[in-house]
Amino acid sequence: MKLRHLLRDILHNRGQAVIFTLCVALSMVSLVAVNSLRRDVRGVIAEDAAALQGGDVIVRSGGEFTPALREELARVVGEGLATATTAWEFHSVARREGGEAVLFSNIKAVSGGYPLYGTVELRSGRPFAEVLRPGVVVVGQALLDRLGLVVGDHLLLGEGRLQIVDVVVRESQRPVEFFTFGPRVFMSEGDLAATGLVGKGSRTSYRWLLRLADPGAAETVAARLQARAGEGERVASAATSGSRIKRFFDNLLFFLSLIAVFTLLLAGIGMQSSLAALLRRQVKTIAILRALGAGNRHILGHHLGLVLLLGLCGVILGIGGGLVLKGAVFQLLAGLLPEKLTLEASFADLLQGLGLGLTAVLFFTFLPLAGIARIKPAAIFRKETAGGLRRAMPRLALLLGLLLLSAVVVVQLDDVTTGLWFMAAVLVLVAVMWGLAHLVLGGLARLDISSLALRQAVRSLSRPGNASRTVVVTLASALAVLFSIYLVERNLRAAYIESYPADAPNLFFLDIQKDQREDFIDFVGGKAEIFPVVRARLLAINDREIDRRREVERRGDSLSREFNLTYRDDLLADEKLVAGKGLFGGNRAPGRLPPVSLLDSVVEIGDMEIGDTLHFSIQGVSLKAEATSIRSRTRSLLYPFFYFVFPEATLKAAPQTFFAALKVPQGEASLLENRVVSRFPNISPINVGESAVELGRLMAKLSLLVTFFASLSILAGGLILVGSILATRLARLEEAVHYKILGGDTPFVLKVFGLENLVLALQSGGAALLVAQLGSWALCHLALDISFRPYPLASLVAVGAITAVVVALGLLASLSVIVKKPGAYLREHSS
Amino acid sequence: MNLVTCLVLMAALLFSGCRGEQPAPQRAEVEEGGGGMVIVAMGDSLTAGHGVSFEQSYPSQLEKKLNAAGYPCRVVNAGVSAETSSGALARLDWVLTMDPDIVILETGANDGLRGIDPQVAEDNIRRILGTLHERGITVVLAGMRMVRNLGPEYVARFDGIYPRLARESGVVFMPFFLQGVAMEGRFNLEDGIHPNAAGYGKVVENLFPYVVQAIEKHRALEKAGGS
Repeated sequence: MKLRHLLRDILHNRGQAVIFTLCVALSMVSLVAVNSLRRDVRGVIAEDAAALQGGDVIVRSGGEFTPALREELARVVGEGLATATTAWEFHSVARREGGEAVLFSNIKAVSGGYPLYGTVELRSGRPFAEVLRPGVVVVGQALLDRLGLVVGDHLLLGEGRLQIVDVVVRESQRPVEFFTFGPRVFMSEGDLAATGLVGKGSRTSYRWLLRLADPGAAETVAARLQARAGEGERVASAATSGSRIKRFFDNLLFFLSLIAVFTLLLAGIGMQSSLAALLRRQVKTIAILRALGAGNRHILGHHLGLVLLLGLCGVILGIGGGLVLKGAVFQLLAGLLPEKLTLEASFADLLQGLGLGLTAVLFFTFLPLAGIARIKPAAIFRKETAGGLRRAMPRLALLLGLLLLSAVVVVQLDDVTTGLWFMAAVLVLVAVMWGLAHLVLGGLARLDISSLALRQAVRSLSRPGNASRTVVVTLASALAVLFSIYLVERNLRAAYIESYPADAPNLFFLDIQKDQREDFIDFVGGKAEIFPVVRARLLAINDREIDRRREVERRGDSLSREFNLTYRDDLLADEKLVAGKGLFGGNRAPGRLPPVSLLDSVVEIGDMEIGDTLHFSIQGVSLKAEATSIRSRTRSLLYPFFYFVFPEATLKAAPQTFFAALKVPQGEASLLENRVVSRFPNISPINVGESAVELGRLMAKLSLLVTFFASLSILAGGLILVGSILATRLARLEEAVHYKILGGDTPFVLKVFGLENLVLALQSGGAALLVAQLGSWALCHLALDISFRPYPLASLVAVGAITAVVVALGLLASLSVIVKKPGAYLREHSS
Repeated sequence: MNLVTCLVLMAALLFSGCRGEQPAPQRAEVEEGGGGMVIVAMGDSLTAGHGVSFEQSYPSQLEKKLNAAGYPCRVVNAGVSAETSSGALARLDWVLTMDPDIVILETGANDGLRGIDPQVAEDNIRRILGTLHERGITVVLAGMRMVRNLGPEYVARFDGIYPRLARESGVVFMPFFLQGVAMEGRFNLEDGIHPNAAGYGKVVENLFPYVVQAIEKHRALEKAGGS
């Protein structure tokens, strides 16, 4: 009987019930999926980091390791904590046996077991460790091409003679060794002594790579080794090694955690608003039940049962959905993620997800449920349909709920401080949204509007009992979160992923002299981009000397280093002017200082502005110039950029060199390098093709992960949108009936509803965008330490799209209301 | 600083000067300051003072030491990080606009570190010395030795350049610029190749007598020219 009653209530409020159930399901799916995935992803990322660095712990030195550190390492290995391998790296001139040809090469001498992480793929397909034996070398294809050798030939290295047995096609460590001269040569550490290349007077990078039995102990082992390290010996874990790589991985994990919490909150808001809407429709029923003598326990019990039933459906759906999603994600990511990533949700993950999810359900449903107790029998006679649910939350309960939710957030974000900051930010967000909604709705109510439809639309927003403010706050908060995720994701992509486009140059040539410029361009077939470079130091800004001591201590780039000045009269394809009339301030009066255009990043470092006088020393010769414009880069392409750009006339006499960037098919790069070096022996080629491909592969994989997690929260946001609109359905029904009774036709009612939704959407979208821009700026600057771009056009398009969706959904949801005959409605509700 | 910035900066660090005839600077003016002799320290990052403050670079320390020892002069730091001998030759005209009395020439190390044929460096330095000689400028040639990992053949060819050129040109010759500094941990930055402030102190200590010798030589030449 009771169950039938519950089912009847659910059927009667099926729209809200479906939204509620889906929200519970989504929070379950996202929590379980995010938690299990995050752990797996953390493992994958840790493995990627280790593969990039070559081990969990890396010990480096410019000279041979001290005995104390050797002993400690032997102990660590002896205790079974780690396996270790060595990788000595240096440059040398490799020679072709029986020929004149020599080639500057990048030598890596490794011991057995290398690589501990990642791969060195060989053309033969055989395992690297099997192939690299004493007496042989494995080389990059470029070495064969440039020395005219084939596999099987011998290579001379120092005093050593080694046979080439295979060719390297891929190396997972390449991205961190991006900018190296010369092709790779792998040799066995045992052959080093025979070459005589390493020892006193050599410049060698000594490296120990450790693979730990428990990768979680990396910091402990690193600290233990560091304690015994001597001067110049550095110990780092893969996670702390390579600041940019670490920052990227840290940012990625933090972003994933944030998304998980956001999804939870969004789903929670969805639960709260759909349940509130459902109960709003029940007010009269509850009042009648009270009038008939039903107690609080009975009524609350019934609705708690309702929530639990729907919640249970949501949980079942969530787990089912999670299982389906798991398969889908696996399909989606197949081939990109290592096979190790099984996406298996462990029992602990399910339990944790269930716990966190139910806590969220409890918190978000407590608010509307608590309102039931305040509904009086008199509500039967009142017209307000929502009044009975207001101000029903006891403060203590609210506080307890908030504490509980904070605990959930802290657990999810895995950091107390960040979790508390996050909660504070969420509360501020809701408060700001509430304030903005109050201001705008109040302002609109006071407007004198001549159009009847618009007036009705605006008035209905501030009608007593209408939930407009709640809807706006909910919608705007959810949209602010969504926009923030969108903006942060775009900025993360711009900072890391789009820096490596597929069409980026793969071959660079340095040190092209002025009188070689034209010859060089002709020689490479005119397809090179050429950049003149003049080295200089900045001495003073407006006669204020650069404080070199302070600059040296500055984090990131500083004004104390040598800069590259360049000259040209136009902006580059990836630049735009953000201040100033043209690059050099239009026509300038004779006798004025020469103009200089500044890049916005150096403007930030030096606190410069247009009109400032910059004093340079070009290799001991003084040059003063006036800042006439500020440029910004529109894309993070792999192109050279210059802080200071002068007109050609100013610098054409200065000592300069040229830098060329080319995109050539990878197979032709070595040949071109050879030809250029034969013709211009002073020019140094740098081939970054292999590194770029490897980096691109990694970035694509991580980009897909970010997108996947972000889409989960966008789904939650969509549900809230639908839920918010459904929540106002009852009020609209009444209004439509009243308009029709008063003589309004269907187009008029449609117009009023359309306008009402439009105002609601624009207000929510606008407020959300404002808050999202500020929030994302803060997040990028303070937490992620990346530059922030506001993407104004994309943001406006997003607001437009959201507005269109809200208006369309609103009209769709109102369609059944609009077509309803007033008579039928009155008959149904007059009893 | 992201990797792209890093890459471009590194690329930039490897740039150097230019070659061939150049018109005199049109807008640049020689920096003012100090009286006495003008000594131009021309070289790569070892002269520019990569990784240390400007005041700790060897030209600044040398200027102080010379002035304290009663040799009034101004030592101009005309060092360019990562410059090869091709770059040095290319910007020689620019350096000459400073009208130096003495040039301390320290170049070629980057040619070696990039495995460029030693003949290129030898030809370039020979041309630089020739031009300086024609202009009556006294030269201190700082010799360089290449790291052993480049192989005995290359190292022998490279190390032979400086004594040979010194004999040919009769310049004041400091056999090894980094004598007692190279490969000494306490005198170098973490990269193991650039001296730290103490390392530059040691360089100046070693270099000082050669510069004094050049100053005396220059004075004698001036005297001979004037009488």
